[in-house]
Amino acid sequence: MNKKLEKILPLVQKPARYTGGELNSVVKDKNSVDIRYAFCFPDSYEIGMSHLGIKILYSLVNARADAWCERVFAPWPDMEKRMRENGIPLFALESGDPLSAFDMIGFTVQYELCYTNILNMLDLAGLPLYAKDRTALTPLVVAGGPSVCNAEPFADFVDLCMPGEGEEVTNELIDLLKEHKKKGSTKAEFLREAAKIEGIYVPSLYDVTYNADGTVRAVTAKDGAPTTVKKRVVRDLDSVYYPDNLIVPFIEVVHDRVTHEIFRGCIRGCRFCQAGFLYRPIREKSPETISRQCEQLIKTTGYDEVSLSSLSSSDYTQLEPLLDKLLEWTIPQKVNIALPSLRVDNFRKDLIEKLTSVRRSGLTFAPEAGTQRMRDVINKNVTEEEIMETSRKAFEGGWTAVKLYFMLGLPTETDEDVMEIAALARRVVDVFYNLPERPKGKGVSVNCSASTFVPKPFTPFQWEPQLSQEGIAARQELLKVSNKSKKVQISFHEMHVSFLEAVFARGDRRLSKVIETAWRNGCKFDGWDEHFKFEVWMQAFEECGLAPEFYANRTRSYTEVLPWDHMDYGVSKQFLIRESEKAKQAKTTPHCRQQCAGCGADKINGGECDARRQNLVF
Amino acid sequence: MRDVRIWFSKSGAVKYVSHLDMFRLMTRAVRRADIPLWYTEGYNPHPYISFLQPLPLGVETCYEPLDIRIEGEIKNEEIKDRLNAVMPDGMHIVAVTQAFCKPAEAAYGEYKIVLDAQDIAADDIEKIIQDGALTVEKSAKVKGRKGTKTVDVSAAIHSYSVKTEGDTVVIEVTLPASPELTLNPLQFLESISNKYGTTLYPLSACRIRLLCADMTAFS
Repeated sequence: MNKKLEKILPLVQKPARYTGGELNSVVKDKNSVDIRYAFCFPDSYEIGMSHLGIKILYSLVNARADAWCERVFAPWPDMEKRMRENGIPLFALESGDPLSAFDMIGFTVQYELCYTNILNMLDLAGLPLYAKDRTALTPLVVAGGPSVCNAEPFADFVDLCMPGEGEEVTNELIDLLKEHKKKGSTKAEFLREAAKIEGIYVPSLYDVTYNADGTVRAVTAKDGAPTTVKKRVVRDLDSVYYPDNLIVPFIEVVHDRVTHEIFRGCIRGCRFCQAGFLYRPIREKSPETISRQCEQLIKTTGYDEVSLSSLSSSDYTQLEPLLDKLLEWTIPQKVNIALPSLRVDNFRKDLIEKLTSVRRSGLTFAPEAGTQRMRDVINKNVTEEEIMETSRKAFEGGWTAVKLYFMLGLPTETDEDVMEIAALARRVVDVFYNLPERPKGKGVSVNCSASTFVPKPFTPFQWEPQLSQEGIAARQELLKVSNKSKKVQISFHEMHVSFLEAVFARGDRRLSKVIETAWRNGCKFDGWDEHFKFEVWMQAFEECGLAPEFYANRTRSYTEVLPWDHMDYGVSKQFLIRESEKAKQAKTTPHCRQQCAGCGADKINGGECDARRQNLVF
Repeated sequence: MRDVRIWFSKSGAVKYVSHLDMFRLMTRAVRRADIPLWYTEGYNPHPYISFLQPLPLGVETCYEPLDIRIEGEIKNEEIKDRLNAVMPDGMHIVAVTQAFCKPAEAAYGEYKIVLDAQDIAADDIEKIIQDGALTVEKSAKVKGRKGTKTVDVSAAIHSYSVKTEGDTVVIEVTLPASPELTLNPLQFLESISNKYGTTLYPLSACRIRLLCADMTAFS
């Protein structure tokens, strides 16, 4: 740590965010490596260090002798102020070296509201914001993560994006950069070659033209770049690289435990859920691999909890064998197993009992909507009986607090759908009081969290408008007055935040100016209520002459060229249109193991999809 | 089942680990070292790990006690070796002993504070301490509410020395560290800053050891 930093650290909150030196962090001799990679998470340390992807890729790069990967997080505003006052540029935690000393700077883009943090971090590093103004080959600025499925709003700031899964393409990219750095190539020469790698998108090699009405006329590839960019997927999760240790933060982070991914993709096809389509096809990891890797990670970290992560944990075909395998060693070692993302329809008591044999965590379910019709529209294949049955089992199992997630503003939603949310929550309360063997001496609490629906690319709702701000406000109010139960608490997501999400999720390249303007006027950490400045954002749209409603609240036709049409995430547009039409008729689609819906994602995985393969088992 | 006292030092980045986070850090280290911990019975079994004297953020320590309750046969020397093999940088186990003193027997802390000689001269510090009437505001509960109270630092200083070493000024000071009154080196420095008129930031501050009321080492 240098002296300048030492002097400001005592003055900021949680200085351990900025010191590095955590257990299992990797320090190398910078003179012995060819490529230095600064892996940036554009949010706070506590959020970034809870993210599994950054940990996997960190270890993966550091497993190479010729490269050193370090971590960078967005400094909290109190630290940023001190850094700027003292002329300390943004630095990486392991070496303390400024970002400008690195060959590659990679941002993982997890959500739309971190775009201003990306700009702020580039600026704190003393680098030009726009890719075109960074003329040297290095530092190369790259981006990955789910939001690069439509990178257009921030495409002007980055040199390239990596749509899809990073385990293989990261190494290929480092190899290529190493080669071109040795050759002394120009950035343009390098980018033309990089664009040939499957799973790399170089925005500067695509020209975008617009129609008079502001919609996209065409996206044209040039200099040999592919017309459509295919995302990368890893075919076999059992053999893909997995770290044998994880950095253990000094301070408490959001998910302070071993997180382990049990499968990728989702069989459900809920029509609002971007992740459910983006991460297809289904690929499962074997119970043996998961158990072995978890035990190793518990050994090297000292954590006392393993969280089995996926989009819908109960859809893992070998959940029971997996739990049996895990419990063999987790019980003697007093390790807790957390199983988030359980579905309402196959919540099983025996399974829960297995989990509670160690320790108990909270229960959250996501019915998403209050009426069957609405749940059918969004293809959330869950019935009211299942919700009640699940609640009953949970209460019988000793839980007295249940959290329910809902969305407001879904396509075709009516007032009745909204009022029924409160009624549904009330019926869950009734289930508790009708139970002869309910936990004695305790009340029940049903917490409903209602967020605002955000239409996202690569979902059947990508053509749908988001409900207007006034409309959302009215439905929030309606839900509030519909709730007559003191046992039911209803909370809402900040709707302005959802509005901006809707703008940027389906935005085009013209929005880069808006992001820049908002950032210059003080926007950052937009995902944090205490830092979110909605008026400044609205002013930025006005200054740039763009209407946010054009992006958020407009219905698109199936024939409109969408800003992300040149990206191929496997699922075909025909499939999305089919699903969109079925939604309009409130028709459901069975999940992938019941019947393959022909989404097309298997094509990107050599024609394979585990949902189909395991069809025979069911 | 028996209690052991683990004596550790911390320096570098680890000094910014708060008291609460130190607890989690040590719990995980003990798990990694595979030391047979004793767990409480009941619904939520947890180990018994207890820090005796909290250290403020940013203060290093040379010899700090921590008590854990263990089960089974394991020698103190082995506990020390196993822990040292899994400690993060900056954390070191100096010794593992029986817990001789009761936690409440700790009465004083001996500290070493290093300042930049460009910020203040040794003579100035000497004079400020000699002039007396050093005070500092401590947060405290006043009639059940959050508030502050003024602490007489001059009266609390047990002994001290100030000297110049190269381009640094080194203060060695013994301050109360008992349940009735605890003053940490940063509060001591703050009381000097208050008189000096500018805020002094230490290059380093370190607790050398804890002492009992009769000025023998806390053991």
